[in-house]
Amino acid sequence: MVLKLYGMPVSTCTRRVATVLVEYKVPFEFVSIDVAKGEHKSAAYLQNQPFGQVPYIDDDGFILFESRAICRYIVDKYPAPAGTTPLVPSDIKGKALFEQAASIEYSDFEPYAYPAVREKVFKAMRNLPTDQAVYDSSIETLDAKLAGYEAILGKQKYLAGNEITLADLFHLPYATLLAKAGSDLMTTKGPNVTRWYNELCERPSWNAVKDGAKSFSSY
Amino acid sequence: MAILKLHGGKQATCTRRVATVLHELQVPFELIEVDVANGAHKSPEYLKIQPFGQIPYIDDDGFLLYETRAICRYIAAKYPEYGLIPTEPKANALFEQAASVELTNFDPSASKAGLQLWIRKMGYPFPTDDKIIADNLETLEKKLDAYEAILSKQRYLAGETITLADIFHLPYGVFVTYAGSESDSVMNRASRPNVARWYKQLISRPSWLAYLDGVTTTTAY
Repeated sequence: MVLKLYGMPVSTCTRRVATVLVEYKVPFEFVSIDVAKGEHKSAAYLQNQPFGQVPYIDDDGFILFESRAICRYIVDKYPAPAGTTPLVPSDIKGKALFEQAASIEYSDFEPYAYPAVREKVFKAMRNLPTDQAVYDSSIETLDAKLAGYEAILGKQKYLAGNEITLADLFHLPYATLLAKAGSDLMTTKGPNVTRWYNELCERPSWNAVKDGAKSFSSY
Repeated sequence: MAILKLHGGKQATCTRRVATVLHELQVPFELIEVDVANGAHKSPEYLKIQPFGQIPYIDDDGFLLYETRAICRYIAAKYPEYGLIPTEPKANALFEQAASVELTNFDPSASKAGLQLWIRKMGYPFPTDDKIIADNLETLEKKLDAYEAILSKQRYLAGETITLADIFHLPYGVFVTYAGSESDSVMNRASRPNVARWYKQLISRPSWLAYLDGVTTTTAY
C-alpha cells in the first residue's frame, strides 16, 4: 500500500516531510487535513496524533507523527538514490556529528525563526494582531545564533560535514519564510550562511513541494 | 584510552542531562568545570570548539561533540546493549517520534518555566518573571494531557521500555515541579495518573539521584 502523508499543503512541517520523500523518490499519496475547520483537533484525528498537529504518515498501517521523526524513518527505511550519499550517516562519529547538527537546528534556529515567522506571516494570514516586540527579539537572537552558523560553514560545506544531511534540509520551511516575515538574515548575515542557504533553496526536492505538498506516484 | 571529559557546570542544567545518561550507561567521566561566571564559554578559544558559546561539550579521546541530546545519543550508540535507543526499525521510528515529542511539545515550555524556577530555587542573581513562568506552565499542562493519553497505553513514551526520549525530560521535568509541591505539581497531578507514574519512575532512577547535589567526576560505578 502506498505511503499516505496527512497534512496541510502549505504547512511548514508537512513540506519538511514531503521534501525528504521526494529526495528519496518515495511514492506517496498526500491527504489534505482541513485545518481551517479544526479537523486536526477531532477525536478521530487525536487517536493518530494526540497533540492535534499535522502532519503524520500511515505507512501500510504504521502510524508515525513528528515531522523530523518521519524524515528519519524515511531515510532509515529507503536506500539513498543512486549517486547520492545517505541523508543520515551510519558510522558512529559521522552520525554523532549529524545529531549535533540536527540539535543545532532545533535549539539554535527554530526557537527564533518560528516566532518571527508566526508573528509576521502566520498571524497576518489569519488577521490576528502581531507582536512586534516578539519579532524583534527573535530576529535579534537569530542574528547572534547565525554567527555560530557562519563559523561552522566557513570550515565545511554543510552543518554536519561536507555532505548534506537531514539537519540542513530541516531548516528549509522556516528559513524560506523569514524573508516574507521581513528579515533578510539568511542572505545578509555572512557569505557562508548565504552560500549554504542558496544551495539549499536550489534543491529540486524542495522546489517540487515548496508551493504545496502533493501526491507523487512516480519520479 | 583517555577518560571521557565532560566540560560544563557542576549545577548546570544541560550538563546534568549528559551526566544522567553517562551514569545510565555506566561510562566513567571527568567533569571539567567551565568558568561561566567569568565568561570562559564566550572566549575565542572556547568558540572554536562550541561556536554558540554554550556548555556542555565532551572530549571523548579527542572527539569533540556538543548539544546535549547529540552527546547522549552518541554515548548510547556506543553501548547499544543498554537499549536506550532501540535498533529494530519500527521501534527506532517510535523512539524518534518520542524524542521529537520531547523537543517540540515539552522542552519549549518546560525549559522556559523550568530554568526560571531553578534560578529561584538556587537563589541565583538573575531576573525571573512570574508571567513567563505561569504562561509556560499553562502550555505545559495542556501538552501533558496528550502525554497522559500516550502513557495510558504504554509504560514509556516510545513503548514498554525506557529510552533516551524519556530521560531527555530531565532535568527540566524536575525543575517545573518547583512551582508545586511533592504531592501536587504539573508532573504529578491526580488528574494525570499515568504521567505521575512515569515521572516518579524517572526521578527514582539511580542516574538521576546520583547528581542531586550537582555533577561530579565519576570514575567507578
